[in-house]
Amino acid sequence: MPSIDDVTDTPDELSDDQAEDLLEDADLVQDMMGEVCPYPQVEAKKGLQQIDSGDLLVQETDHVPCTENVPRAVGDDADATVWRSGDATYRIYLRKR
Amino acid sequence: MVSVLLVAAVVGIALGVFLQKGRFCFVNAFRDFFAYKDSRVTKGVLAATLLTMVFWGIAYQFGYYQEFWTPEWGLTGFIGGFIFGIGMTYAGGCASGTLYRAGEGYLQFWLTLLFMGVGYVAFALAFPTLDSTYFETFTFGEGVSLFTVSEIPASVLALSIAIGGLLIYVTLVGRSATTADLSERSDTAQLNLTAFLAPVAGLRQFVRGTETYFRGLVGAWRDPLASSKQPWDPRTAALGITAAAVLWFTQASIVGVTGPEARWSGYLLSQVGVDVESYEYWGSVLFQGEGVDVTVDMVMIAFVIVGAFLAAAWSGDFSVRVPKRRRLPNAVFGGLLMGAGSRLAPGCNIGNIYSGIASLSVHSFIAALGIIAGVYVMTHWIYREVGCAL
Repeated sequence: MPSIDDVTDTPDELSDDQAEDLLEDADLVQDMMGEVCPYPQVEAKKGLQQIDSGDLLVQETDHVPCTENVPRAVGDDADATVWRSGDATYRIYLRKR
Repeated sequence: MVSVLLVAAVVGIALGVFLQKGRFCFVNAFRDFFAYKDSRVTKGVLAATLLTMVFWGIAYQFGYYQEFWTPEWGLTGFIGGFIFGIGMTYAGGCASGTLYRAGEGYLQFWLTLLFMGVGYVAFALAFPTLDSTYFETFTFGEGVSLFTVSEIPASVLALSIAIGGLLIYVTLVGRSATTADLSERSDTAQLNLTAFLAPVAGLRQFVRGTETYFRGLVGAWRDPLASSKQPWDPRTAALGITAAAVLWFTQASIVGVTGPEARWSGYLLSQVGVDVESYEYWGSVLFQGEGVDVTVDMVMIAFVIVGAFLAAAWSGDFSVRVPKRRRLPNAVFGGLLMGAGSRLAPGCNIGNIYSGIASLSVHSFIAALGIIAGVYVMTHWIYREVGCAL
């Protein structure tokens, strides 16, 4: 059955537990609370330049469009998943390829 | 009057909801296209503009309309648009984006709004000088909508432009899809054939994409409550915005943001005792000598903030967001440039890219180019350390 996800092109969402576990493993965490586009996109690209292949970059953000724009901005450089708290905070997980 | 106010509330709330749910932002549309070729929101903006143009053309032809947006045309559109484009990219939100983000709880964008207001006030004070220097020098002709001067019936004209735009789009899509085959084959006959086939291939892809989209939409209706809390495709936002804009066009006016905001700045000053009416720009240009009062378009844009708040609260996206201190210059200078630029053009991204092009207004074609040029330059500056795709 087709769902809205087929057309909105958003990254896969993590469950609360997955999100917590992965955050502990993160190699670089960027605090993007209060920041709006395009700065999180630029910082994500810079952050990915600093870490090694296979490493995990996590951005914490309260800016809704970032959950789509940041994964699109890094493109093929990383595999992206997001976590939505349901309460206007989000985390973007970028695993460098 | 009550019924117009009701329409203003409905249109404003609808616009706010669709802008928020589709994250429909003109900065996003152009900036992300220049920075990393992300065209999802760009497509939404194009779809909304072309669809609105078709429906406005039909409404105009049958006399169901109030007015078009047709300021005098000239370099003012390009210069003002360029300043506005720089400002909106630096601020991180266009005129409509600032409104819906204000509704989502971003204090940064309330500050942007405040400094847009400062820009309007500064412009109003400088208007007599600007009128005789800037506007006289850079204005070349009377404002005109191609709808009103063309021999072709408005609906046919609008449809042909929309179909023409679609054909250019599918050709580009088709060409990028067929270039992969091209590099493998080198005979020229094949090349010519592919040039012919590009629009067909692109159109097929477009039809497939549209089909998938509508199937997704139908699927989303099976669980409307859950879907309404998810983010929406920018194309859904485009459809909703078009519907609201057509209603507004037949009942009140074109959709504008910074014009009503500049009126708000005058109205609020008049409430604290400033003799706003004696200033030429507010008195005779913005309020057209009818006295400083709340007008329906001012009510409508206020409801955009309400609509965005309701949509954000419903989706769990609302929160009072405090900006980092290092982002304050973005709000202050971005807002100032947006306020001043939108008056120098005149018109913002909504007035000139959306409503202006949908009105086929000569002024807006030039202003839209200026805005997009401004976004292009500013995007390259912001992305200077990591590079842009275009």
